Amino acid sequence: MDSRLKNLAEQLDAGLIARREFLRKAAIVTGGTAAGLHALRGMASAQAKTKLRLWLFKSFVTAGNDVVAKQIETWAKDKNVEVEMDWATFGDREQKFVAAIEAGNPPDMAEMNLYGPMRYKAALRDVTKVASDVAASKGGLLPFAERLMKVDGKFLGVARYSMTTVFFIRKDVMEAKGLKVPKVYDPDVVEFAKKSQDPAKDLWGFGQTLNRSDDGDGFMSNILWDYGGGVFDKDGKPAIGTTFLKQNTAALQFAVDTIKKHGIQPPGVMGWTDVSNNEAYMAGKLVTTNNGASLYYAMVSKKHELAPKTTLVLTPGGPAGSFVGSSCYNWAIFHKSAKAELCEDLIRYVEDEKRFAEYIQVSVGQAGPVYKGRVDNPYWKSDPNFDAILQNILRSVNIGYPGPMTPAAAEVQGQKILTDMAGRVVVGGLSPEAALKEAHARVEEIHKIRGKA
Amino acid sequence: MRGGFHPDVTPKPRVKLEVTLRRLLGPDYRMGFLFVAPIVVLVLALVAYPFCYAVYLSMTRKYVGMPPVWVGLENYIRLTYDGFFQRAVVNSFTFTFASVAIKTVLGMGMALVLTSKIRFRSFWTGVLLIPWVAPTVVSALNFLWIYDYSLGVLNYLLVHVFGVLSHGVGWLSEPGTAMSSVIGVNVWRGFPFFGISFLAGMKAIPGELYEAAAVDGATVLQRFRHVTLPGIRNIVMIVLLLSTIWTFNDFAIIYILTKGGPGGATMVLPVLTYEIAFGAQRLGEAIAVALYMLPPLAFVIIVLSNYMRKGRTR
Repeated sequence: MDSRLKNLAEQLDAGLIARREFLRKAAIVTGGTAAGLHALRGMASAQAKTKLRLWLFKSFVTAGNDVVAKQIETWAKDKNVEVEMDWATFGDREQKFVAAIEAGNPPDMAEMNLYGPMRYKAALRDVTKVASDVAASKGGLLPFAERLMKVDGKFLGVARYSMTTVFFIRKDVMEAKGLKVPKVYDPDVVEFAKKSQDPAKDLWGFGQTLNRSDDGDGFMSNILWDYGGGVFDKDGKPAIGTTFLKQNTAALQFAVDTIKKHGIQPPGVMGWTDVSNNEAYMAGKLVTTNNGASLYYAMVSKKHELAPKTTLVLTPGGPAGSFVGSSCYNWAIFHKSAKAELCEDLIRYVEDEKRFAEYIQVSVGQAGPVYKGRVDNPYWKSDPNFDAILQNILRSVNIGYPGPMTPAAAEVQGQKILTDMAGRVVVGGLSPEAALKEAHARVEEIHKIRGKA
Repeated sequence: MRGGFHPDVTPKPRVKLEVTLRRLLGPDYRMGFLFVAPIVVLVLALVAYPFCYAVYLSMTRKYVGMPPVWVGLENYIRLTYDGFFQRAVVNSFTFTFASVAIKTVLGMGMALVLTSKIRFRSFWTGVLLIPWVAPTVVSALNFLWIYDYSLGVLNYLLVHVFGVLSHGVGWLSEPGTAMSSVIGVNVWRGFPFFGISFLAGMKAIPGELYEAAAVDGATVLQRFRHVTLPGIRNIVMIVLLLSTIWTFNDFAIIYILTKGGPGGATMVLPVLTYEIAFGAQRLGEAIAVALYMLPPLAFVIIVLSNYMRKGRTR
């Protein structure tokens, strides 16, 4: 009990004050205490921490995830900010973004992939100022990254790093067979695979799914470009079954032939998902495969026996050259956020070269440069296998190439039009021309609809 | 002429309305409305409003983060002529009817075995329920590994242990085997529900009926045909109805195993809805895909419900 109330009670018991006097004084004491507590609570809440909601990408490179989380926690402590971090994976990030945006409750800031700025442009802030500042401090953006981050002339994402695919080769098998690194798919990869594989022992020369998956879709994009084709022309109009029909037919025929004619792929390859080639390679069932650096990270970090027996080389090409579409991870700030300045401060903090160096050191090649100033980082010379990653990124093209990155180009990838097209030939029995025409109709439809967006 | 005071006996309009309402709705209609109101509000808020909003959105062009634009029946018309959608419809019916048919046969077999005098009946009942109890995602991921061409246990058993095949099968990579494989997983997961439901129905059939049939010289098959089947007819109909709806809307198994591939060979409507919503991010069209099959499904439900009601009144 409050000592003042206790005194009053004692005075009442002793008959020193009347009951009415006791009630009056007790009310003053109680009311005063309550008012004081209320004022203290108000002062306390006035000093409560600002809360920031962040969604980060949970990559397979777990050590990198830990580094960025720790950096954000340090920044939050310095700024007296309460940060609520949530993680989105390859498998659930789009669902999370769609649900949050439609519910009107997105986070303040999120780490997105290359499609993020285009897909969610209606919900994102213009971050041109901070993106330009960060880029200027690092010698400018690489051209493909700039094209991916800019939507309608404005930056909607601040580029962070690039993930790309490279060609994985079993060095021990290659040397044992006296083979050379293949430069083009046809005939180099085909011959390499035929000479190196041993189907009787379930060892296959080449492992590349054409099934609905990011891996399959990336390969199909690249191979169309390699043969001089593509989905869109330089103006961004659908050309998959018209302008580029001849080139695309040759490319699709080659992709299908790796399964149907050359017999260099495992029989179940059309049922593969994104992780299947990783598993098959690490199980010693493949001599070559296309994959991101995450496979190399997995082997190195687990001290897998195949890690020292693996060489990473440039992605093979075709008659028109060798083309690769690389990702560009980035920071995006949502319109709904009332703490945009704080988000920008955090971006500048984590993109500081000293902190990014911490991140890149544990990434085992996955965090490729998107800024010119990061290309010369000595890290890229610390492992001979990193050179292929670096060179692939430096020659990357954007989705929609030879045209610009457009909502339609993003949706063609989202709907897996290219892998559906390949699947229609491999398992549906269509001719490459018929499959291309079918795909063209779908792309036309998308282009028509997205043009109205 | 007789004069004097004549009170106005004509009922006031409000009283008249009250009398009419009592006559039409019963004397306790106010209390009735009070009791019914909470569930009506809940149904309106949680079922009717979302459903009507979904119907509205299906008639709009709605992209993520943007306001919907009214397009009328454009989404439905476009879907009608879309070859990819048409294949998904055919696949959905193939997947559903094949799965339900096989589950019915296996479930009936399971129920018949469990009603017979076998040892450890409770134990076997528990074992057979495991597929139904296991989470769908876990089951599907296990089958993804089981079906794998190079690393899967199924090919290993067929080729290396039993020597049935000279080389493995791409269970999820060929159009024929891919659909059969996903049906197989759905059947494996769903048949215990059929079995347990049929078992419950069979246990409710009085033993005297079987004894009377046996006395009349009925064979085992005749007893099954004329005693068991009529006795569990309503349960069979309910189970078929529920399973048809559940199987038609099954998403997890196909999405995890094939994502609708290869080449759309296992693309069914729930997966297509998901792909259009989250891949293409066209929410209006995605809802149109989901709602497109509502009328035929509703027709199946109404027909089966009527059949059951008729059966009860007979």
